[in-house]
Amino acid sequence: MPRRSRRSSGHVVDGYLELMPLMNVLVALLPMLLLSAVFVKVTVIDLDAPPTAEVPVPAADKPSLALAVTIKDDYYVLEGQQISKRVIQRAAADAGVQLAGALADVVVQHPENQEIMIISQPHTRYEDIIAVMDISREAGLPSVSLLGE
Amino acid sequence: MARHRTKRRVNGGNTQAPIPMTSLMDILTCLLLFVLKSVVLEGEVISPVPGVSLPESSSNHAAQNSIAIAIFDDVVMMDGEVIASVSKAVKSDNLMIAPLASRLRQTYAKSEEIAKLRGDTEEFHGRASIQGDREISFAILQRVMFTCSQNGYEEISLAVLEKS
Repeated sequence: MPRRSRRSSGHVVDGYLELMPLMNVLVALLPMLLLSAVFVKVTVIDLDAPPTAEVPVPAADKPSLALAVTIKDDYYVLEGQQISKRVIQRAAADAGVQLAGALADVVVQHPENQEIMIISQPHTRYEDIIAVMDISREAGLPSVSLLGE
Repeated sequence: MARHRTKRRVNGGNTQAPIPMTSLMDILTCLLLFVLKSVVLEGEVISPVPGVSLPESSSNHAAQNSIAIAIFDDVVMMDGEVIASVSKAVKSDNLMIAPLASRLRQTYAKSEEIAKLRGDTEEFHGRASIQGDREISFAILQRVMFTCSQNGYEEISLAVLEKS
């Protein structure tokens, strides 16, 4: 509804805002932004190339802790040079939580270590590898390398 | 509103009535804010290759400019072109995927030449982004990664969908 204000002289002033220029700007801006908008955000996980038998890793480059999570069919194996080996059943509903807890313990005991190796079998699903990488990163081990068994 | 229109007609015979645009403005403003929220301001925008169902991850690293290698079903694709077969590559004992290696070498040579022509002082480092379907096996992922690292693309990243 138009808004009218009465002035002292008695004239009626039409109070419509001139919105057309603003509309034009918005109509030009919207398609431009829609084109550059991303509704499903794709991010990346940076990692090192897997060392293989053809490219052996020099002993000096190995992390001192050599922390590794092996993804087996039924369980995760967490092991390293100065830590006790732990086996976590993958069928358990809280397998991820248990693994996160075990990794968090390692991080507390060895705060200098930032590296972890994820050892997969040839038929390990990519999604499972990404899940373990997420758990490792969230536990405070950002440097992840992938290895094959 | 009705009074306003009637008055105009009576006064000058002008039938032009103002369009109420407040509600339209509200819609456009909401839409603008929503779109602005979705605009990516940093990093490279990666569009998932059709047919690839990327796994979800909590990673929030923005993608950088890189070559894209997609792995899904029985196909290894590079820059939208089918390069190799997953089943054949996995059967082989050799970790190197020959057709992919040859394509990577060509791309690397071209990129290096462009970098030289551009006058880049830093040494060219190949960067590859792997868009793997969530169902692929580690066997093919390892072969693709090995092939990339052996042909100049040592900086490898795995594309994932950001968990909402």
